[in-house]
Amino acid sequence: MSTSLIPPESLARVGEVLEGPVTVPIDRREAQRYAYAVGDENPVYFDEVSAHAAGYRTVTVPPLFITHALVPPKSAHMLREDGLYQDATSIHLEVSRMMFGGEEWDFLEPVCVGDEITATTRLADLDQKEGSKGPFVRLVRETTFVNQDEQVVARSRQIGIAR
Amino acid sequence: MNKYPSSGSISVGDHLPVMRKKANEAELFLYSAASFNPHRIHYDRSYAHHEGHHDTVVHGPLQGSWLTQFVTDWAGPKARLISIEWQNRASAFVDEEVQFSGTVVALDTLESIVELEIFERKADGTILMPAKALVRLEER
Repeated sequence: MSTSLIPPESLARVGEVLEGPVTVPIDRREAQRYAYAVGDENPVYFDEVSAHAAGYRTVTVPPLFITHALVPPKSAHMLREDGLYQDATSIHLEVSRMMFGGEEWDFLEPVCVGDEITATTRLADLDQKEGSKGPFVRLVRETTFVNQDEQVVARSRQIGIAR
Repeated sequence: MNKYPSSGSISVGDHLPVMRKKANEAELFLYSAASFNPHRIHYDRSYAHHEGHHDTVVHGPLQGSWLTQFVTDWAGPKARLISIEWQNRASAFVDEEVQFSGTVVALDTLESIVELEIFERKADGTILMPAKALVRLEER
């Protein structure tokens, strides 16, 4: 067994709220900018008639847009050399690199323009594993998205790999 | 005749139509702006080199949204995406064509729910993202 990459004080943070709860209105123009930026010009994101015909209350948004709608505005003074923001909630680990491992999403209710979405992100899991290239840490941030009617509309699990 | 799939019109083993995507510098910049992501590796080639990347890097979440589009374009506007998951295995770069392919791996005809196995690959076949999705197709 190799030495632990996870200090006890970081392990103790599993379950902790890292961000939120933060509430944001789903804005038509922002959602449409996002749809254009990914090249997904599905009429249900742009046109009321198409959205109704597809069974939505009103214009809906690309599935992964909600995560970007919730990105907090931050001062450019907080930018690091690599362009990323300094992150006060980052988890201390005895590693040199953090990589994106992937994402898992559940979509439970439609999200439409005008909805008020509240997101809360928790440190869901922190687990050391043995890989072919040595030990690594799998870090899971789980975000729950709830609408103005208290319905959970989506859950995302973002998986980080640190080694 | 409906152009979108229903549980009666598809079978396990069916392949989805291949989707090709590619992002140039302006498109990567637009995605950085739309997602409020200032990470330098997505617009500054020399900085991407400095971090050990071969070229300007395509955002992981941009490929995630290409993936959801691949599924929703096939399933049609009345279908509903239930879940999707993917792993980031390798990086895609600016101006590089990537290809999404998918297969129906399970079908619940009672609930009209289909399970898809999907791969995003580079031109040389390298897997960028293996993925899975569950979709509820339009009820008949």
